[in-house]
Amino acid sequence: MDRVALLVMSEDCMGCHACEVACKQEHGLDAGPRLIQVVERAPLFVPLYCHHCSRPPCKDACPVDAISRDDRGIVLIDEEACIGCLACIEACPFGATQFYEERNVAVKCDLCRERLLDGGEPACAKACPTRCIVWGGVKSISQRVARRAAARQLMT
Amino acid sequence: MGETQQIRTSCRGCHGGCGVIAHVKDGRVTKVEGDRQAPIGRGTMCSKGLAVLQLSYHPDRILYPMEKTDSGWERISWDQALNTIANRFRGVVEEHGPESIVVGQGTGRDYESFLYRFANLLGTPNVLTAGHMCYVSRVGATLITCGNLPVSDFEGGPKCMVVWANNPLWTNPDEYKGVDFWAAYQKGTRLIVIDPREGFLAKRAELWLQLRPGTDAALALGFLNVILEEGLYDEEFVERYVHGWEAFVDRVEEYPLGKVEEITWVDKGLIREAARVYATTKPACIQWGVPIEQTINCTDSNRLLTALMAITGNLDAPGGNVFFVPPPVRTVSEFGLHRELPAEQRAKRLGGDQYKLASRVALVTPKAVWDAILTGEPYPVVAGLLCGTNPVVTRANAKEVHAALSKLEFLAVIDFFLTPTAELADIFLPAATWLEQDYVGDFWKRHGYVMARQKVVEIGECWQDHKIFQELGKRMGQEEYWWDTLEDALNYMLEPSGMDFQEFAKRGHLKGEMSYRKYEEKGFSTPTGKVELYSTLLEKWGYDPLPQYREIPESPVSRPDLVKRYPYILNAGLRTPVFFHSEHRAIPWLREIRPDPLMEIHPETAKRHGIEDGQWAYIDSPRGRIKQRVRLNRGIDPRVVVAEHGWWYPEAEGPGHGWDVSNVNVLTDNDPAGYDPAMGSTNLRVLLCAISPCLDE
Repeated sequence: MDRVALLVMSEDCMGCHACEVACKQEHGLDAGPRLIQVVERAPLFVPLYCHHCSRPPCKDACPVDAISRDDRGIVLIDEEACIGCLACIEACPFGATQFYEERNVAVKCDLCRERLLDGGEPACAKACPTRCIVWGGVKSISQRVARRAAARQLMT
Repeated sequence: MGETQQIRTSCRGCHGGCGVIAHVKDGRVTKVEGDRQAPIGRGTMCSKGLAVLQLSYHPDRILYPMEKTDSGWERISWDQALNTIANRFRGVVEEHGPESIVVGQGTGRDYESFLYRFANLLGTPNVLTAGHMCYVSRVGATLITCGNLPVSDFEGGPKCMVVWANNPLWTNPDEYKGVDFWAAYQKGTRLIVIDPREGFLAKRAELWLQLRPGTDAALALGFLNVILEEGLYDEEFVERYVHGWEAFVDRVEEYPLGKVEEITWVDKGLIREAARVYATTKPACIQWGVPIEQTINCTDSNRLLTALMAITGNLDAPGGNVFFVPPPVRTVSEFGLHRELPAEQRAKRLGGDQYKLASRVALVTPKAVWDAILTGEPYPVVAGLLCGTNPVVTRANAKEVHAALSKLEFLAVIDFFLTPTAELADIFLPAATWLEQDYVGDFWKRHGYVMARQKVVEIGECWQDHKIFQELGKRMGQEEYWWDTLEDALNYMLEPSGMDFQEFAKRGHLKGEMSYRKYEEKGFSTPTGKVELYSTLLEKWGYDPLPQYREIPESPVSRPDLVKRYPYILNAGLRTPVFFHSEHRAIPWLREIRPDPLMEIHPETAKRHGIEDGQWAYIDSPRGRIKQRVRLNRGIDPRVVVAEHGWWYPEAEGPGHGWDVSNVNVLTDNDPAGYDPAMGSTNLRVLLCAISPCLDE
């Protein structure tokens, strides 16, 4: 199975936060954990999100093996197994693993796995008006990013 | 457990329009997402629309009518509520006349048609909207100049876009959503940004003109000066379609670039370059925002931008600023029954003699109403009905607004929550959100579409605003003008299209048949049939027929006496992407993103006052003091302070809910000396202020 990934082209992120709310709605999350988050450093916007790393530091840090990586490369937390120790949160270099106080577990982006199975796209990507959230097969993403960079150079 | 149903509708999280698919299960909405088939939004949605579940099912939302009693708010029935309002209004009509009732709304949310129909039939000319300084003001100014509102034609393939005091990616510039702007930009347009603040677009722009807040009209005169001097205008268009060219040229020549640079702080070389790029890159559109309308220069700023579009040949040209053709449905104006307002009542419109352009578009400037309430002059206003508006937070000089609304003998408010304004009411009527209503969405806009808004669920006893006006109207002796059901009313709106609401809803939207350069056949809908750079109507009404720049009434230039005490220019009304004006502060998903009101200052300015990033600070103006949280921004001028608008604290104890703590309109002024002379636009944007660190936080 082709590995999938998600990438936010931060250059095109204009800080509308639609992705955050789309994500909350999709995952039924309250205020608190933010699986995708745009940090504002006026006038810059810094998207923080899970990169589904090939050697996930969160997975390595988990003392109870609650974190796994499936055959499509999606890094997942098993909430049943999670003991809420925060080790994965400390380990993640992107601030993408979040603590969900209400349920006392760590939570993170699952790339909207259910939506992908139905042939859809991640909720955050669908909402984004500048289409700066790209997702899909890892190879196709890198090709698309290269094309986009080339197009931009031709424009200027 | 039932199946999940998917219902197509359209959002109204802001002014509305984006196509939505709502997922419903067991009578409850479980999810909303963008509708890819929709011409507005094209499958994307913003944070406000996406948060509608937390709005609709909010624990603090009021779900039934209420009456304020000595022991607080008490639930009543719709019959009781509407009968009480009808009785009180009848009493006012008998004692004072219908003009003593003010009917008001906030920004355009698709209820103006019903609201105006009700008010006109009631016989009150006093309809209070945001229109004097937002959107209707640009409609009015462009109507008298070129007969219609010229709207950016992003789909028509602009090669140059001038974004003037606007962030179309964050806010809704009425006609279009950011997604269309972005698609046009991605095709490789040249981009010029005019903004006192370096935002996302300014950073990308080929040219960024960082002007002194409020001097847009002078900058536009500078552009025109370059275009005239260098002969970059469309001579044939000017010859055939412009009225008053020579007088206009004389006026523009009064603003040489050196003078414009002095007024605007923008380097004259940069102005020249920007004017050249705009005038020589065809087609080019100007996407302009509301800040230019919220000053003393409202009408003239709009007219000057129209002049730029016209003389460069970009008016109603593909990819320029165009007159979209509406779909075949009744107009807001026809539905609103403006003709039914008797002439003697129209003559009583507060401020009507003074602000004739505002009167022409059937609205009043707010202070005229506050004065009538507070002083009884020229006649008393004693009762009100406000729909979807929170003037205590959104109108200039909030303290006066609060005092005036508190003094009304009777006030009814239609809203979702007990806002600081609703808390002043005697009767509260619970409004339906966009998920709970059937409507011909975007009925009032000028982008060439109407969007089907379909009722997805019912929640509590909430009614959609339209039904409230219809049922109240029937109780006020207007029976013959209203329908048995709301659907009948919508069918009437849609009648010219040959379809009823059911069929319209199935189709999702209607589009007008677009054609360009319609003036070649029909001329322009102005008294002379031409683009009136010299306005015959303004002249007739006794105003300057030619556009000019008036100095902002409270600026370092006009009030040097205040500068020592208030050394900074306050650029008030910074938008956030997650709130719509004063709305949405109670929505957890949105408030999490922006928990506090933000003011922006330059790091140098912060240093001078010992203020650190993230600290709370006071902003003082001659009217009062508020506090907001500081965010440092190198992209603003050190002489300027930028502050967000619309803040109150739903979580704070009622009835005030902190309306005067961070509300920027505690600082703004509503002295008529600062109004646009023809439109009565209030200066909501530019004033003088002082800042200091807030040490008790």
